[in-house]
Amino acid sequence: MDRHPQFEEDFELYEMGVLDGSEKTEFEAQLADSAERRAQRAAARSRLALLALAAPPVAPPPEVRERILESFKARNAQRLEGEQSLRPRRRSWLAAWAPVWAAICLILVVAAAWLAIDNRKLSSSLAELELTRAQLEASSRELRVATARAQAALNVLTAPETIQVDLSPTAARPVPHGKAFYNPTGGLLFYTTNLHSLPAGQTYELWLIPAQGSPVGAGVFNTDSRGNGQVILPSLPQGLTAKAFAVTIEPAGGVPAPTGPKVLIGLVS
Amino acid sequence: MDPISGHEPDRRDSDEGLIRRIANGDEVALGVLYDRYGGLVYSVAKRILGDSGSAEEVLQDIFHQLWRNASRFDSVRGSLSGWLLVMARNRSIDRVRRQTPSVDEEVVVTLDGRALDLESAAAQNEMAERVRAALGALPEAQRQAMELAYFEGLTQSEIAKRTGHPLGTIKTRLRAALASLKTVFGA
Repeated sequence: MDRHPQFEEDFELYEMGVLDGSEKTEFEAQLADSAERRAQRAAARSRLALLALAAPPVAPPPEVRERILESFKARNAQRLEGEQSLRPRRRSWLAAWAPVWAAICLILVVAAAWLAIDNRKLSSSLAELELTRAQLEASSRELRVATARAQAALNVLTAPETIQVDLSPTAARPVPHGKAFYNPTGGLLFYTTNLHSLPAGQTYELWLIPAQGSPVGAGVFNTDSRGNGQVILPSLPQGLTAKAFAVTIEPAGGVPAPTGPKVLIGLVS
Repeated sequence: MDPISGHEPDRRDSDEGLIRRIANGDEVALGVLYDRYGGLVYSVAKRILGDSGSAEEVLQDIFHQLWRNASRFDSVRGSLSGWLLVMARNRSIDRVRRQTPSVDEEVVVTLDGRALDLESAAAQNEMAERVRAALGALPEAQRQAMELAYFEGLTQSEIAKRTGHPLGTIKTRLRAALASLKTVFGA
């Protein structure tokens, strides 16, 4: 074919399958995919369809009709059966998985109960821990106070301006002995030994004898079984210049001014 | 009975109406359609294939394809009768040539806008008579070429070889035949 397909016969020959070889290839190459070409091919097909009517009329065997209809009915029944079988399949699917879901729910309930119990235990432990924390805090405070007092005592002992005074008994007896460490700004530390225990209702009282003025009470104390006693950092006016220290026997609780006998005395040298 | 409407199809129902029923699973509608066109399809297949068994198989194949694709039928694009006739010819030729069916078969034969009214037996008979008359009016050589091309599926080269005539002569005879048949095609 040496021309662009334009005649109806060109399309009819092609649709009939008559073209072959290079002529068919050439025709196909010239078939543009356009609406016009598609319409031309469609028209050719419809014209050629009429030629089929030229076939001598022959009736098909009756059983062909029955076979076709039976096949159609069977397909319809299969389709219907397929739709219906989905439901029991769904039901059986649910039924099959129901025990699994029930087991999972039971596990979840048990887990929730266990967690609730555990939570109560944890709450209880928390309360105990809180109490312990409070106790530890109190102990810590006491420790801080004790540490501060120890540090202060150490400062008195080590400070260069601290004076040391030895106190001796006023009479010849097993020797009570005392030692005072005094720093006018740091405070006073006093230790004594071999003082005999006093009866109930009496106490030893330590005095700071200032350079001027009356003796200042520096704390009361009692001795242990070995006769040891101490006064640590008593409350004293700041900056007092001491000329002596003394210990007297006073009524329990102490007195504002010495009244009882002196058992120890030491002069600041 | 139409499973959806519950009504029995009428033998006067259009092809389009019957196809819709078939798409909905109406086996009676399929029966009506078969009665309308089964004979035509079988006749074409028998003319081409020669033996009844093969023609029956082609007939069954075509109607199986029809109801499998019923939902895709588009009456706007084409005619069911045209599709059935084209399918009958093509499937039969494929069998003759031991070819696998073409995949380029549309569900309907797209027409050029003119309806191919073969829904009634009368219309079929009338058109068939006209086609046979037109073919009969062709010169013997042209009719022979047309029949070899259409009912045996031979190419122009094969026709030339079969008849012993030159290829160019065969081409001319075919074109002339088709031009003469325009009186039928153009109706």
